[in-house]
Amino acid sequence: MPKIKTSALALFGIVSLASCLLLAQTQKPGEYPRGEKPSPMINFFVTSVPVGDGGNLGGLAGADAHCQMLATAVGAGHRIWHAYLSTQARPGKPAVNARDRIGTGPWYNFRGEIIAQDLAHLHGDTMELAHQGNNLNKLTGLTEKGQIVPGLYDYNDPRDGDWEYAKNTRFSSRHEMLTGTQPDGTAFTDSQDHTCDNWTSNKSPDPGKSGGNLNASDGRLNAQIGFPDRNGGGNGSWNSAHGTRGCAQADLPKTHGQGLFYCFATN
Amino acid sequence: MTRPRAYVVLVSTLMLASGLLLAQQAVPTSQYNTQGVTPPPGSNPTPAKMTFFVTSVGIGKGGNLGGLAGADAHCQALATAVGAGGHTWHAYLSTQARPGQPAVNARDRIGTGPWFNWSFAQLGAPQNALIAVDLADLHGDTLIQAQRGNNFFKQSARNEHGQVIHGIGDPPPIQHDILTGSNWDGRAYTDNADHTCNNWTSSSTGSAQVGHSDRIGNGSSWNSSNATKGCSQADLESTGGTGLFYCFAIN
Repeated sequence: MPKIKTSALALFGIVSLASCLLLAQTQKPGEYPRGEKPSPMINFFVTSVPVGDGGNLGGLAGADAHCQMLATAVGAGHRIWHAYLSTQARPGKPAVNARDRIGTGPWYNFRGEIIAQDLAHLHGDTMELAHQGNNLNKLTGLTEKGQIVPGLYDYNDPRDGDWEYAKNTRFSSRHEMLTGTQPDGTAFTDSQDHTCDNWTSNKSPDPGKSGGNLNASDGRLNAQIGFPDRNGGGNGSWNSAHGTRGCAQADLPKTHGQGLFYCFATN
Repeated sequence: MTRPRAYVVLVSTLMLASGLLLAQQAVPTSQYNTQGVTPPPGSNPTPAKMTFFVTSVGIGKGGNLGGLAGADAHCQALATAVGAGGHTWHAYLSTQARPGQPAVNARDRIGTGPWFNWSFAQLGAPQNALIAVDLADLHGDTLIQAQRGNNFFKQSARNEHGQVIHGIGDPPPIQHDILTGSNWDGRAYTDNADHTCNNWTSSSTGSAQVGHSDRIGNGSSWNSSNATKGCSQADLESTGGTGLFYCFAIN
């Protein structure tokens, strides 16, 4: 028997053992996957880091640039990336709907797993689709680096509510995605702020206006958020669960956010 | 040369087998609490106020629950064991129409809500204990309600001990297939196929509609995601369930 066959068999054994050991370990939220690169199909991700100035993203253009920069860093910069964000109507300036900014799908994540087939599937445009839901969940809502976004109960650290701590640890709870959007993917049409003044404000609400209420109230700066892990906030909506305590960077961690958002490639 | 070769084959097989064993060995949940499988520290259990839970164990006979009465009794017994027996408990299950016997809709069996899980205010926000405020919220009766969803998610859908149900990504056994026999609107199926393991009396032939307690998987509906392969306990386990079901207090 040729020696090569013997070593091939031994190699097989070692590889089997190694792969089984790998299987025994599970990727934890916030960890980077071991040596994996994004699927060539990736055209959806959650930003791994925020812009860092609260609700001031530099408008839609600044947010889009952030998406493009993060995508480029992992080799997906050949696509055109847009942030999933709405802006509200202003005098002489119509509203922009997040759903009109992200192409037509289908969208795939870091691992090439489907997020949604099309805009109707993503948003649940019919009763049937809405009940079925899209495929965005804790295990598919990955960052451009393939991280699971840490959410409720993943790690319990009271300092998660503090931006100074949270910005230095990738394990802090951070599952609130800025969207400024209604469940159907369109901009809000009421007179309250749901977009941190169209993604240009980093201000806290005036004293006495923050309360414990997460819904926008008169004159209060606020951003609507959703959860990629569908965990929390009264309904678990991926794009429109509740508001924030304000628009300063330090306001966002108070409710388990950091100012991350969704990026979709339009091509 | 046959002997060394056999030796190598044996060693490789052993390595493979031990590797597989390692991969399948259940890690103690206390060391594996990345999914909040056990109640989080500092949480404040209020079982007497609880009006919703997922059964911590099934009845063990596959789709045969002893009918609706048997399933209700299971809910009541589990609730009583943790001090929540002051409520009247019903299982969230539908049965299909039979000659002389009308269908029963799961949504018509569970009172009017609101329903709360095992613990209030674990995160300093009472809404995290709320499952749904009423039947329309629970089932998404309007398009906007359906798009937003109820507050039913992996970390809120706890069993009567406050534990999260193992879902996709957790150590096996995965138990996220929850028996409902119901359509997404909470009503019984009206076609001729079996969706209820013969109205919860079969542990062999038939099929049951299940929802996913973690809302992850083939369709993410909490009450109507897919059908089981059959009604035996082994059939349920082959697709990620152990015959658990939802219990709601009607008062």
